[in-house]
Amino acid sequence: MERRDFLKISAVAGATAALEGCGNPDHQLIRFVPEEDLIPGLATWKPSICTLCPAGCGLLVRVMQGEAEVIRNGQRGLLKMGLAKKLEGNPAHPINQGKLCPRGQAGLQVTYHPDRIKGPLARVGPRGSGQFREMTWDDAIRQVASQLSELQASNQESALALITSPLRGQKKAIFAAFAAHFKKSLSVETALLDDTTIRAANAASFGHALPPTLSLAQSNYVISFGADFLGTWNSPVAQAIGFGRMRQGRPGQRAKFVQFEQRISQTGASADEWIFVRPGAEGTLALSLAHVIMAEKLRPAATGPAGQLIEGWAQGLPDHAPEKIAEQTGVKAETIARIAREAAALDPAMAIVGDAAIAQTNGLFNALAVNALSALLGSVGKPGGILFSPAPAAKPSGLTLEILASQINSGGAAPTVLLLYGANPLFSAPAAWGLRAALDKIPFIASFNSFLDETTTLADLILPDHSPLESWLDDEPPAGSARAIRSVAAPAMHALHNTRSTPDVLLDVAHQVGGNLAKTLPGKTYDEMIQASFAALYKEKGIKTAKDVDEFWTKTQEQGGWWSAESEAAVGSATAMSNAAAKQTAPRFDGDASEYPFHFLPFASQLFYDGSLAHLPWMQEAPDPLSTVMWGTWIEVNPRAAQKLSIRQGDLVEVASPHGKLEASVLINPGIAPDVLAMPVGQGHQNFTRYAAGRGANPISILSPLTVEGTNSLAWAATRVKLSVLGRGKLVLFGASLTESSPELQHR
Amino acid sequence: MSRPASRLNRYFCVAIAIGVAALGSAILESSLSAQAKSAAEEESSEVFTPAHPTVYDAIREFFGIRSKPVQPIAYTHKVHLANGMQCVQCHVGVDQGPDARIPSVNFCMTCHQVIATDKPEIKKLASYKGRGEDVPWQRVYGFQPSAHVKFNHAPHIRAGVDCSVCHGDMRQQTVAERKVDHTMGFCIDCHQQKNASIDCVTCHF
Repeated sequence: MERRDFLKISAVAGATAALEGCGNPDHQLIRFVPEEDLIPGLATWKPSICTLCPAGCGLLVRVMQGEAEVIRNGQRGLLKMGLAKKLEGNPAHPINQGKLCPRGQAGLQVTYHPDRIKGPLARVGPRGSGQFREMTWDDAIRQVASQLSELQASNQESALALITSPLRGQKKAIFAAFAAHFKKSLSVETALLDDTTIRAANAASFGHALPPTLSLAQSNYVISFGADFLGTWNSPVAQAIGFGRMRQGRPGQRAKFVQFEQRISQTGASADEWIFVRPGAEGTLALSLAHVIMAEKLRPAATGPAGQLIEGWAQGLPDHAPEKIAEQTGVKAETIARIAREAAALDPAMAIVGDAAIAQTNGLFNALAVNALSALLGSVGKPGGILFSPAPAAKPSGLTLEILASQINSGGAAPTVLLLYGANPLFSAPAAWGLRAALDKIPFIASFNSFLDETTTLADLILPDHSPLESWLDDEPPAGSARAIRSVAAPAMHALHNTRSTPDVLLDVAHQVGGNLAKTLPGKTYDEMIQASFAALYKEKGIKTAKDVDEFWTKTQEQGGWWSAESEAAVGSATAMSNAAAKQTAPRFDGDASEYPFHFLPFASQLFYDGSLAHLPWMQEAPDPLSTVMWGTWIEVNPRAAQKLSIRQGDLVEVASPHGKLEASVLINPGIAPDVLAMPVGQGHQNFTRYAAGRGANPISILSPLTVEGTNSLAWAATRVKLSVLGRGKLVLFGASLTESSPELQHR
Repeated sequence: MSRPASRLNRYFCVAIAIGVAALGSAILESSLSAQAKSAAEEESSEVFTPAHPTVYDAIREFFGIRSKPVQPIAYTHKVHLANGMQCVQCHVGVDQGPDARIPSVNFCMTCHQVIATDKPEIKKLASYKGRGEDVPWQRVYGFQPSAHVKFNHAPHIRAGVDCSVCHGDMRQQTVAERKVDHTMGFCIDCHQQKNASIDCVTCHF
């Protein structure tokens, strides 16, 4: 026998013996009876709505039969069900026209996130310990209802607080009914990147309390003051589509785009001219541009209320001659004059303002000044300029987190019950507001959030909402398209976990509380309310495309909503809502310039938006488009400033403001002013799932409690900081990990 | 070496080989079962990996060894087909997409709520339904993932290929068995006969 034969026989005999000895390795999870019988392998595309930012893009969800590992009646098992597999833009939707941004694409991971709260929880440990026990929905709803019934019986003032993200559609109606029912309830809609200031400015200048809809596709000249309109600001997908058409949709006509800001944003990187302007000087600069246009009579000076609001407008803004303000704004006089002439010559031209420019203490003035320039350029309400959609203008309640916290902390009666939905105020408010201490004084907090974020961890009761793909949704986006839009979406898939749609839970609570609250919310379910609102729309608009209201309802669900065939933008500028002259105010900054030499500029992350998406691993692992940093946070320093302080790329530095300090690694960025430090918002979560918790630092935490004068919105760009080197840090850049020994660092 | 000695030697070698194999298999088996156990304990791994969970799985796949499916209920195709049912009544979607549906317990119970309720297998079926569980049918056919074969039922049905060509005559089978070996040669033969494409990317993509 050959050696080879011997080996063959041993191998085969051995393997066979081994194989016979083992059992079937199929895992033994039970299979639940499916709730739906789908044809395997066939995909359907169902319309839905993206809820990850306020833009309100339309989605198509690819749904296919799959097997999900779920828990039903306390038992783990497999369930065959229709599962959302992919998100794309809805081509029929007027806002995003079939396109979707990367954040929207990652929305899928909200549903399948391993750390989603899988059922109602009651706190067992001390507040903030994160110890909860599972409970039934009946118990959870009964507890909320009994708390509210007590409030109703006691008839106490300011006993109910509602902290939510800015809401629209029928959800807003439900929360508003709760707020209206309880005496002087404290209702706060909060978001770091809120549009309160731009709405207030547009109301004063143009009579529309709405964010602007940019008609970029027809524009020939765009001047943007700080607005990252291709990345995160306002309705970025709609704006990116418009920008693409402006640049490439008209052969031989490319249009010009000038961006004024302190740190090069993703949008700034697409500009023909990127010009540094001193923080808070955007309004002055806009008025200087207006001065040149008026002085040289390049445009008719009749601008309506937008101009009249500005002090000295009628006299042609003599104080704003480019030479006089060049030093103040940091922009050369000849540049100002040249851009003013170019903009006046290239009709239609638009001026837009957003992000850091309106997050200064003088943000409202900056917005009003840019609005006046827009009006002077003559394209407001016209194609190629700024339009206003026919969406309803939300009235701000005037109450902010800061006011709420200071009321509670200054010894005023704390509300007895807080309902929290969609917002994570402990992350998105500066520590200096003292919100944490205020929340501790509220005896009962119920959160409807889907994840154990910083604020939800403090809750006494958690009633987790469905993910957006599992929910009925309705929306009325305020900007992005001039057409009238009412989006609607049925659930794209059944719920994976033991969660419940928050509007439905609130309706249940309302009916248990009874009385007037139940009367104002007669609908049994949220989808009934949405259907009723669409029936009202059918009547109001006299819709002819459907033969009756039922067909209309079916068609809107198939399409993802109803929208007008043509633009319904308000024409021209209406009467102004305010007669007060907008006085030019200089920006105030917190922190003494000699002790705190740098302006601190947090900016919306391309991946995490305002921090609410840091829990999505696709967003964590995606390289930031400009810096290529992944899985972390960084602080941008100008090369000259870095040289002066002997800082190298990747150094760990401490950034301190008068209100706190944080640590981050340095990224050298030539596209930032030497006296500005910029940092993306989004990381630095204490609790927010395994992917975000304990990663990086949160710039909002060290911000000064300054607000925008006139709107009380957080002035998040008004803090000054100082910098000190701690040692070597770590930056994970796309394709390279920068550490002490990395050759990338040696030449710097 | 003389011939008898050689024969003796050969027997001796075979005996040793079997002995070594038995020893090896005993060691392998114990380590494999330990591995299988630890894999079961871990349940679902956090990290996706294309590797096999156990050496045992790797060996099985390498040799193309598949265990005989043991169905939880002794379902009989023969009886259902003899009673005039058609394949597509239960295996919905076979003419529409890549996969044919295996009906859920709900579907079975639409008839068996009243038909043959006293039979032990139907009682088993009803008890699954009563517990809110679906019947854990075992897969009979299918390709190894490493074969990278994408099979789509619908075009085969459209081309008039009878179900029995690939699945055997189900009228003669009770519980479904692998009567036909789905090797690449089997597929290619038929594709050639019917002038269907035998380009690699027709099936491997």
